Amino acid sequence: MEQLPDFWRTEVYHPLFAHFPIALLLMGTFFKIFALWGKGKFLASPGTILLATGTIGGWITIYTGNLADGIVARTLCDPTVLKDHENAGYIMVWLFTGALLIDLLYLLDLVTLKKRLDNFLVVLILVTGSVYLAYVGHLGATLVYQQAAGVHIPSENCAEFN
Amino acid sequence: MKLKLVTFFAVIALLFTACGESTTAVESGTYQGTVKKINVEKTEIYVTTADDKTLELYFTDQTSLTRNGETVEFSELIEGQKVEVEVEKVGKRLNPVSVSILE
Repeated sequence: MEQLPDFWRTEVYHPLFAHFPIALLLMGTFFKIFALWGKGKFLASPGTILLATGTIGGWITIYTGNLADGIVARTLCDPTVLKDHENAGYIMVWLFTGALLIDLLYLLDLVTLKKRLDNFLVVLILVTGSVYLAYVGHLGATLVYQQAAGVHIPSENCAEFN
Repeated sequence: MKLKLVTFFAVIALLFTACGESTTAVESGTYQGTVKKINVEKTEIYVTTADDKTLELYFTDQTSLTRNGETVEFSELIEGQKVEVEVEKVGKRLNPVSVSILE
């Protein structure tokens, strides 16, 4: 009789971690956009905190994704989607990392570029990163819902649940 | 100086949008090429063919790896080696049936 696999499989950690940076980075981007205008300036520092935690989470997600890759890629019918997901994931995390570094350099007063120009540059990179984030998420969802990546497919009679 | 720093990071960010490895799902058959990259933990290799296509091959339990007709360990593979690979295309996945080290 088929056994129900353990839930805490290596390939499961990736989707478990992935949703935290998605939320943190998107919220961080929104905060930084609103901080461009006078009334939203108070959101600048919380935005930096969200970006920092989201970026760290993003790198953890890259790590767990690499762990999952070696297991999942052997079962997919179209691993090229996984490769696109991986490539876009790296680009996305590097974009957010770059934006965070510029933001931190400014906060630490290491950059004296005009404040508004600096903020605009950060927001520009963050918006680009968010577009990549949406694309990476779309590819990840495609892998799960079209190719059952990392998914246990129950037997027809559900015997493993008895 | 500080403007250059910001420009540097912006350029780095843009550069990353241009990088990344693209792979091709070729038809089943035998191909010769060069080992471009090896991932030991995943027992995975990338092979660049003569027509500049990159094949991503995850070894399976059935994959044979040989040199001069003799079975060798995965650790014998090194980047830059000439290899001949027989692949079976399943969907768009390439299952390596055999890999022969040519040099």
